[in-house]
Formats: sequence, structure tokens, C-alpha cells
Amino acid sequence: MDPANGIECEVKDIAMRGGKIVEEVSSSAKVIDASEMLVMPGGVDIHSHIAGSKTNAARMLRPEDHVTDFERKTALTRSGVGHSIPSTFTTGYRYARMGYTTVIEPATPPLMARHTHEELNDTPVIDKACFPLFGNNWHVMEYLAKGDVEGCAAYVAWMLRSTKGYAIKIVNPGGVEAWHWGGNIRGLDWEVPHFDITPREIIRGLCRVNKMLKLPHAIHVHPNNLGKPGNYSNTIKTMDCVRDIAEDGRAAIHIAHCQFTSFKGEDWSTLRSGAEEIADYVNKNRHVTIDMGQIIFTATTTMTADGPFEYILHQLQGRKWYNADVEAETGAGIVPVVYKRKNFVNATQWAIGLELALLVRDPWRIFMTTDHPNGGPFTAYPRVISWLMSKRAREGAMKRMNQNAIKKANLPSLNREYSFAEIATVTRAATARALGLKDKGHLGEGADADVAIYRVNPKEVDPSNDYRAVRKAMRRAAYVIKEGEMVVKDGEIAKVIEGKTFWVNASVPGDMEVKLQKELLKKFQDYYTIQAENYVIAEDYLARSAPIEQGVAKQ
Amino acid sequence: MGEESVIRNVVCPFCGCCCDDIELTVSKNSIISAKNACALSQAKFGSAREERVLRPKERVNGKFSETDYERAVRRSAKILAEAKYPLLWGWSCTSCEAQRVGVELAEEVGGVLDNTTSTCHGPGLLAVHDVGESTCTLGEVRHRADLIIYWGCNPVHAHPRHMRRYTVQSEGRFRKGREERKMIVVDVRNTEAAKMADEFIQIEPNGDYEALTAIRTCLKGEELEQEVIAGLPSTRFEKLADELIDCEFGVMFFGLGLTMSKGKSRNVDAALSLVRDLNSKTKFLAMPMRGHFNVTGANEVFAWQTGYPFAIDFSQGYPRYNPGDTSGVDIASRGDCDAALVVASDPISNFPLEAAKGLASVPIITIDPHETPTTNASDVVLPSAMVGIEAGGTAYRMDGVPLTLRKIIEPPEGVLQDTEILSAILREVKNLNGGR
Amino acid sequence: MTKILLKPKGKFSVPIEASTITPESFASKTLEQMRSLEAWEGNRRTSLDSLFDIEVETDGGEEITILMEGDVSKLRRIGKGMRSGTLTICGTAGMYLGEAMRGGVINVNGGAGSWLGARMKGGTIEVSGDAGDYIGSAYRGSIEGMKGGQIIIRGNAGNELGCWMKKGFIRVGKNVGQLAGIHMIDGTILVEGDSEARTGAQMKGGRIIVMGQTANVLPSFSIEEIRNVVRAGEERLPGPFYVFAGDLAEGGNGRLYVFKEKNPHLGFCEAFIE
Repeated sequence: MDPANGIECEVKDIAMRGGKIVEEVSSSAKVIDASEMLVMPGGVDIHSHIAGSKTNAARMLRPEDHVTDFERKTALTRSGVGHSIPSTFTTGYRYARMGYTTVIEPATPPLMARHTHEELNDTPVIDKACFPLFGNNWHVMEYLAKGDVEGCAAYVAWMLRSTKGYAIKIVNPGGVEAWHWGGNIRGLDWEVPHFDITPREIIRGLCRVNKMLKLPHAIHVHPNNLGKPGNYSNTIKTMDCVRDIAEDGRAAIHIAHCQFTSFKGEDWSTLRSGAEEIADYVNKNRHVTIDMGQIIFTATTTMTADGPFEYILHQLQGRKWYNADVEAETGAGIVPVVYKRKNFVNATQWAIGLELALLVRDPWRIFMTTDHPNGGPFTAYPRVISWLMSKRAREGAMKRMNQNAIKKANLPSLNREYSFAEIATVTRAATARALGLKDKGHLGEGADADVAIYRVNPKEVDPSNDYRAVRKAMRRAAYVIKEGEMVVKDGEIAKVIEGKTFWVNASVPGDMEVKLQKELLKKFQDYYTIQAENYVIAEDYLARSAPIEQGVAKQ
Repeated sequence: MGEESVIRNVVCPFCGCCCDDIELTVSKNSIISAKNACALSQAKFGSAREERVLRPKERVNGKFSETDYERAVRRSAKILAEAKYPLLWGWSCTSCEAQRVGVELAEEVGGVLDNTTSTCHGPGLLAVHDVGESTCTLGEVRHRADLIIYWGCNPVHAHPRHMRRYTVQSEGRFRKGREERKMIVVDVRNTEAAKMADEFIQIEPNGDYEALTAIRTCLKGEELEQEVIAGLPSTRFEKLADELIDCEFGVMFFGLGLTMSKGKSRNVDAALSLVRDLNSKTKFLAMPMRGHFNVTGANEVFAWQTGYPFAIDFSQGYPRYNPGDTSGVDIASRGDCDAALVVASDPISNFPLEAAKGLASVPIITIDPHETPTTNASDVVLPSAMVGIEAGGTAYRMDGVPLTLRKIIEPPEGVLQDTEILSAILREVKNLNGGR
Repeated sequence: MTKILLKPKGKFSVPIEASTITPESFASKTLEQMRSLEAWEGNRRTSLDSLFDIEVETDGGEEITILMEGDVSKLRRIGKGMRSGTLTICGTAGMYLGEAMRGGVINVNGGAGSWLGARMKGGTIEVSGDAGDYIGSAYRGSIEGMKGGQIIIRGNAGNELGCWMKKGFIRVGKNVGQLAGIHMIDGTILVEGDSEARTGAQMKGGRIIVMGQTANVLPSFSIEEIRNVVRAGEERLPGPFYVFAGDLAEGGNGRLYVFKEKNPHLGFCEAFIE
């Protein structure tokens, strides 16, 4: 399956050399017989919390999460623990076994970016990148309050270079700064306390910056009001607030884990799915992409930079709560959760995620995620795939759920079933394209030789009926090739290699840079408790640095 | 070459403050002066060459004799590989890069990996497992805090620049200085910090849990039925509860006064629960005053690589965790370990007597820059470079902010870094294990 | 009945993991099979027969009785998850004895270590001597403590007894350390001797009865009444008892019964009885 190159279910040979897919190789090449197996590009996960300060705080918060799910050391692999917050070695191995070869850590506090990179360095096999957080950043808010988009662009470029980040991440814009005083922001036009700015201005400003810097990925946004009944309307407003700045043919905004921000209703008892309205907007507006944020019925851990949301969740549940505010930048919150089938709210959430995927028509603009671990561990992806591909699988699942929720949901009446090509799209081809990773997510010449081979025959197996076979096959790949090396064989790690860390080497013209340095140095001491020199992460800090050059044209 | 050079923005490798504005003047491979450095920092930079172990040594027939790294590494690897339950202890005074090798080594030898958290803030981490924590980075305190509590700790003594750089005497965006902040000290003695406070609450020794519980009870709107709590009139706590609610942004720093007095992890449990409760009324956060400059780093590295922050037992081939069982002090007290590797730490001095005795009764390998009672009790001693002075690497500040330590001067002739020594031992152990 | 006798072959120095020593593991096994059951000696995977002399007496009956003699204080997790049968230890038992037990009986003629009956769901554990800390507790970070069964300690018990306990009964014949019933959710704890300090700390529910002395009661406990008789399991204990409700700091509704006669210093609370 190579939907990026228009190939759907064709029998072909794939030649690899030097870590790349090439047109042909000599007869002395090693041969893998993949006949009757499903072959896709390696998976590209656009949003998964696998590394960094809050992920590690969650590990330390929850020893009970790890105690029964562990992996022993083998001759090839390091030991570790799993379930919802796996240790780093286990994370890499488990992704690889499922045929994923690129994973994005989507929420990095810039002050602690060094920590994220240390953990990514210790996450084997997969390629990775991280998104620094900008939506509550003091410098950003001040630049944009003044209307100085150019200055902001120079700053963002410096930040991406300094923190070795890949894209602009925005979480509850303004809301986390308000949370640093114990408050929150509930609307796009609310004023952020002490800063002369609104979430709308932050999002629009950063969208402009993104355009100016020609960054490979759109602004990646976790809107205000996540987790609040009725928030779907705010999500639509958020998507709409950059429509006029969007460029033709390119996504201007990506809404992360959209399920959590697609709630209709006034309170928990009247909670409904807003997926139809959201999907309708996405279908009509090409400047938007979204990812699912599907929930799984299991015990898992919520973790997000959206500190105030986590506090509310803690108050609802009464269990332990972790919070870490980061000076001048952002925050984090962590709360353990259990999603239960018989729970009205959880069953509704489950339906919402799938409705989004089934109602958004263009598989190039909706991506499959669980917002690991917020919706559930990434190891549940094969299960989500089975729900997307089989109405029977959905019906079987729905039988065991809160019937009140199911009755009120749209999902039972949706007959659409994803094809293998569409699955390949929403788990790799589309995500790679949205990220601007030109050599990922496809099997054409010049692509990175990242190939996932699953033991299921797409020409014979009907996923609608035999979804169990598909699920089983996708849990443990038959073969996974990464950069031309066989890293997984029969679902086990065959070789451990070190993945690359992508980052954007964003730059601005010299005069903009000079202006920035002057302003920055002055303010840095006032804002931070560390020196500017120590904030910057040197390139050799990354085990395998893979910069993407991106420049800005002078306006 | 005889010229002086000035190195700026150096991260100090002493306490958990990890001040990164130190300016060092260096000449002829020697640190002549340190600007912005507190007394503890001055002492560390200034005495870098004192009491150094200069050559590897090993005990032969009960007496030390000088050897070389190769022999010392081989003997160390043999001891560790043959041990059935080795303890790998220390780690808080070395770099994250060295800690990472340590994790792999502990896994390879099937031993127990533990850091000094076990002897100081371990109880705090145990409390976090149960109740969580509301915390922040130090800049948040500087910018916003109008109420700062030091409970069971004396920053004047142990973290000299804490107040000036980050808390009561600092200048922030929303608080201009000392006059806009209130400082409360709760302690069992009238310390130097207590003398600086706007309010000093002297509770009786081992009364912290009762005191914290009293405040929590008031916060819930309940009446206190006892007249005297923790040696003070109960009205004192009613008043304190009101003060805490009244602030805009409060922070509680706590230290060994809580973690090591009667109740231990439950003292911290009560403190963190109080801070959590306060968030329903105002903004409140807590932070442990970590002692060593990279104990936080040891917790971070261990946690991301194994899932657990300290006291990790690899004896069955995967990480297992239960402080009290898998913690170094307890293992040594019970005589459970049959060998030990000590890295940049002095447990023979710092452990309780039973544990020190237990440790001294087994073969010890120590990697340390300095002569200590532990090196003197060891079978093999491998000298190492001082991290943050003679070797670089990553360290984590008490609030989790990662910083890069520098190599300022060369180590004494021939002395290797922790990372090199540990890697060599690991290689040798792997050879001996033959890919088992 | 099948009786299995295990005698340590020597003195143990490193920790021994022996979670295969349960009636279920031994059921329907030949002597050879029993000998090759897995155990860990530190980091060495080994089998039971390298550590124990094993003898079997059977009349063909299904009921299993395991008898261990000697110092087994270095053994961890004996009786883990057992569901039936009897396990008797004549000597000092180690940590995690009867962890996650579901049924059956464990007897110790001697003392026991910490985490005795942790996460227990059913069955009976009886210890003639003293036991350590965290009896009947949950794992670190979890709120799933003891959920059923009973633990009887005839001697003294350590600190944090019944931590996160959900259900079941723990009885201590002599004194208990501090923080008995910490974070308790439900269940009953009976202390026939003294309770050192901080009894019922942070409890949300459940009942703790102290027949001996307790130096103080936490400030988060409020006097409710004085009762003449208090029920504990099948027993009716004659008082009078001070009855405190708490832990109020947790919004808890547990009850702490303190024997009035032994605690005259708690008399101040009578002024608050409505």
C-alpha cells in the first residue's frame, strides 16, 4: 500500500540500498519474500507523549502502572516497563514491533527541551522529533500583542534552532499562563491576565509566523476548553480563526486529539457527540487537519501541558494529581484515569473519536492517534484499526457499552469501513505529508527505506469480517525495515539501531536576527532563572541530528 | 599558557540550586577565583585538588597497593559479575551520561541500582506516588510568589543563594523584591533562616505530621479539639491556615526536617496533600530542597530508562521497585548484598551504622575523585575526574531544569572520567558474561 | 492430604525469591517436579532443590500442607497468590509472605517480615511473633490494599499497618507502630496493645480499635461519642471506648475506638461530646 504514490494493493518489488528506496538493486541483494503479505511504509505517529519532563514525572508518579507489564533484558534488548507510560527502550521496541518507524513527541517545554532530547536519544530504532510549546510563552505573547509578527518569527526561529524543535505547538493558548495564577481561559477572545492579548491573536500570530518561516508542519493546536462539554463550538471557531491567512493547498492549522474537543452538551449528563459538526467543518475547509485522540477502555494516564484541565479532572475523580508550571513558558498536569465501557461519558467519548474518523471524508486530513497515553497506550493502535475497518467490530464493541450513550451517538448508523489503503493513509502517508517529511510515509524512489510488512493478505482477507486477523497481524509485524536494516522479524526485535532526531533549522535574514539577539539578551535574564547561553542545545547533544533547513523570505 | 582566562555561565556542581551564572578565572589549569559563587561553591571550586585519589589502587592481602586502570577495571568487573546481589550505589554527584552507563551496568550484572535519594528525599518520592505533587520551576517562584514557606530546611546553610536567586530576596515580573513577599519558616530550631523570616513557627521535634494535619483540618472548615498541637497552641494553626488561603501565590519548600523526622514519607504526604488542598482556594505549590547537584538527574535518568526513580532491583532481569526492600540502606543493613560499587558517594560515612557495617563486610569498588572513609574501606579504588570541574555532562536542577556542566580544567594527570571508567567495567563484564 | 516438608540446606545470604512455594505449585506434582520448581538466589535462577531438602508424605489426598523449618527470613513472596491449603513456617518468615493470597491458611511459629499479606484477597495468616511494616498494604502508588481475609499477629506489628486497606480484618495481639490504618478505605483493625502514634491517619473509612494506650489522637479526628461495647469480627469488646470520627482532613468517615480506661489523657475530648 503506497497511497502517496497512488499504489493501492499492487504486487511490486521494493529495492533498497544505503538506507533509501531505490529503483533497483543487484542480484546479490538480500531478498525478503513478502508474498501474500500487507506491505506499507513504516508508521508515522504524529502525536504521542513518549519523552520529556512530564512523561518522566508520570513514570515517577505511577510505579503501579509498570509493575505488572515489564520486559526482561535479552541479548539484543534492554529491559524496561510498559503499559501506559513505558520506559524509553520499551517505547522504541514496542513501536518498532508494530511497524512504526517515526514518532513525534508533541509537547515539549522549551526550558526542559534538553530533557526531551535525552529521552529521545534513549528511544531506540524509531526516528523522532519534538514540538516546542509556544502558546503561553511570554516572548511570543509580547511580540504579538505589539503586532510584531516579524520579531516573533525571528524569536520562533531562534527557539526552534535552540531547542532542536520541529514545529509550533500551541496548548490552551493563554490558558496555561492564566493557570499560573490559578485561573483559565475559556474563549478565543478572553484577555490573558497581565498580557494584552487573546488566544485568537496568539493563534493567528503564530499561524502567520509559521507561514513566514515556511515551516514544514502547520501550527499544531490543542484548543482552549479541552474536556469541557459544549467545547465543539470553540474548536470550530479555533479552526476558523486562521481561515483567512491560510495558503491554498496547505493546511494552516492542525487540531490535535480532536475527540477531546468535540463535545456537545451543557454538562456531563447531557454530553453528546459534536463530531458531525466538526467533521462538517473539516470537510468544507481544506486548511484544517485533525487527529483522532481515540479512547481505549483501559486504565491509562492523562498528561498534557493543559494544567488547568488536569486540575479539573483531578477534582472530578479525587485521585492523585501532578502539576508542574514552567516559568515564562507553559505547564503540565498528570492524572491517572480509567475509561470504562459502562460509563456514559467514556462510551460517548469512544464514539466521538470513531465518528470523527468516519465522517471526515478525506483520509489525508484525519490521522489515527490515541493521543498516547491520554486516550490509551499506543499499543492499542491495531484495535483502533480494526474499529475503523469493520462495522462488525464496532458493533461487537458497542454491545458491551453504556447503551444510553450508544443510543445517543451517531456511530451505530455509520456504515463506512476503512480500506487498507485508507489505513495506510491515516497512519503513515498523510501524517508524513502533514509533517512535511518528504522521505517518509511512502515507498517511492528516494524515500527512507522504512517498510512495515504484516502477515495478512489484503487480497484475500476481508477486514470487515475478519478484523481479528488484521488486528493480530498489525500487533506484531512480520518484518520491519528501518533505513534498510531489518529491525523486526516475526514480531521480535532483530536488530537495534539508533534513530534520527529531526528538527527545523529555521532561519531569518541577518538584520532580523541581529534585532532579535539584542532584544532577547535584555529580556532573557528578566524572564528566566538560567542564562541564555545555557538554554541553547548544541547539535551534538542529539545522538543523530537530522536538521531540515527552512528559511524565511524577507516580507 | 600562563594567561588567565575567564569562563562565564558555569553551572555550579554543588547543591540542587545548580546556579549557572558562576564566573571562573582559570590560570595554568587551576581555578583562581569564582565570582557569584556562594561559600559552598567557592569551597568546591577552590579545593578541587585536595585529598584526591591520584592512582587506582587495590587491596592485596589486606593492604592497598597501587595499580593501573586496566587491572582495577578487570578486578572490579570480576567482583560484580560473580556477585549474586551486588549493590550499585551513589550516582548523585556525577553526570547523567555516567548515570546512564550505570543503569546498563546494573542491568548487566543483575544487581540493585540505587542513588542517594534513599537517604534524603526518598520519602518525598514515596509520598508523590500516593498523592502527586503541585510544583513549578524556580522562575515561577521568583515571578509570582508572595508567600514562601521553608519547612524543615535551612537554605541559609544548605542552599545559600536560594533566597536571593529564586525566592524571598529575588526580583520577579510581578513581585519586585523582599517587601512584596512574606517568608515563613517552620522548624524545630531557631535557625539562621528562621531569624530572617517574617514569621517563625517553632514546632516540637517530630510534630510535623500533627502540625500539617492541623492546618489541613482547619482548611476543611473543621474545628480543632486539642488545645496544644505539636507543642503550639492550636490557634496558631488556625491563623496559619488563614494566612495560607490569603496569599495569591504560595510555595512551600521542604527538606530533611520533614523527610527524616518521625513519619518520614507521611510527613511529606501531609505536606503535599496540604498544598493540593490549598489549590481549591488559591495558587499553591511545593518543592523539595534537593541536596546534591545531580540527585534529581539520577532520578530522571533512572526513571526514563527503567520506569523507577531509585531503588531498582535488576536481579531477575527486569526492573523491580520497592523502597524499604530494594533500597541501598536497607539492603546493606540486612546484609543482603554480596558486593558493592560506589560512585561519587561516601556511604560508609553517611549510612546508619548497621548499613555501613553491612557494606563494609562485602567487597567494595569505589569510583571517586576523593579519599573518603568509603575509599579506605574499599577493595578497589578508581580515581575519577570531578564532574562539573574536570569533566562535563548534564545535570538536573532541583526543579527538573536540565543544565550542562562544563569541563573547566584538566583532571590530575592520568585520571579518567566516570563515563570512561564505567564503560570499561561494563565492557569487561559483558566479556565475562559472554552474552548470557 | 499431602504434606511437603522443606528444610533450608544452609544459611541464605542474598535474597531468595520463592513465590513458587504455594500449595497450588505443589499440587499434583511428583517429588522431582517439586524439586525443579523455580526460585531465584539473588540474580541466579535456580530450583528449589538447590536451596531446600524436600520430603513428601502423602495418603493420596488433595489437600496440600507445606511445612518449612528453619530461618527463612531471606525468602520473599512465599505463599504468593495461594488459594487453598496450608503453609506453616517454623522459624522467621521473610518479606511479602502471603502476598495477593486468595484463600487457604498461613501459620508462622515465629516472626514475619514487612509487606505481610500485601494486596491479600482472602484466606488467613497467623503469626505467633512480631511482624514488620506495611502489613496488608497496597503496592507503591496503588490504592488497592488488602481486600479480604484476615491477618492475625500475636506479637507486635510495625508501621503503616493496613495501608490503603479496602476490606478484611487485621488483629495485633500486642503493640502496633505509628500510622496504623494510613489511607484506610474500609475494613477493621484491632490492636490489643498500644498504638504508637497517628492512628487512622488519612483514613477515608473503616474501623480501628485500640485496646491499649495511644499517646495522642490526630487533630483531624473529632470525638463523636462514648460507647460501651464495640464489635470486632465476631467478638464484642467491652469498653467504654472513646469514638472518634475522621480523618476530617481527607473528608473521611472512619471510626477510631480508643479504650477509655487506658487513655485518661484523652479526657479533654469529653468537653466536645454533644
